[in-house]
Amino acid sequence: MKKRYWRCFVCNDIHYGIAPPELCPTCKVLNAYVEITAAEARKILGGGAEVDFTPADFRQAIERFTASNEFMVNPDAERVEILLQGIFENEKNHGFKFCPCRLRTKDWDEDLRLICPCNFTIHETYKGVPDGECWCGLFVRRK
Amino acid sequence: MANLLMFHGRECPHCRRMMPLVEKLEEETAVRFDKHEIWHDEKNADLMRSFKPIITPKCGGQLRVPTFINTGTNDVICGEVDYDKLKAWALKK
Repeated sequence: MKKRYWRCFVCNDIHYGIAPPELCPTCKVLNAYVEITAAEARKILGGGAEVDFTPADFRQAIERFTASNEFMVNPDAERVEILLQGIFENEKNHGFKFCPCRLRTKDWDEDLRLICPCNFTIHETYKGVPDGECWCGLFVRRK
Repeated sequence: MANLLMFHGRECPHCRRMMPLVEKLEEETAVRFDKHEIWHDEKNADLMRSFKPIITPKCGGQLRVPTFINTGTNDVICGEVDYDKLKAWALKK
């Protein structure tokens, strides 16, 4: 089987393998890995390349990412469509799939925390909120 | 009248919902917002970053959009609010 790249959505650890680790070896969070492209992995690790990942590919990646989690992709298709447009515009113009509803600060470490999916589970819009969602609303707590 | 700024993103759903309320407020009152799109205009992004110490304590430690700032009082609101709350904030002395 072909190996692929995976990123921990909490601590940005990168994994290269046929499947993501269940447990992040660095931050110890379960089900934390989302598939990314090789180009994204290289950029996070200090390289740089064009990304060949369509919005449909990304949509599939986040669907798989959420499948074993307590949150899911927002069923509001119109909202998801707008957000995916913004995420890909941001990648084209600014290098990463930054959240369209926040602004990068130009601090490398701070800005890595804005890459979608971000670790929204610690944000006040989600943590402890029964109908919580990430700031932009791409991810919502599963009912 | 105080200088009111609105920072927003073109592909931000919260911002898209707030824009009609902002425009309604401008139609019904003398309130005016200087609107700055921050993902497709780097000057606007830098302007928002210049307010980081004022914005982040009110916005979960981050630069989120939409954000509204009264540059006279440094009063800030971020995210979606209803029309009455926006109006009361904008007209506050």
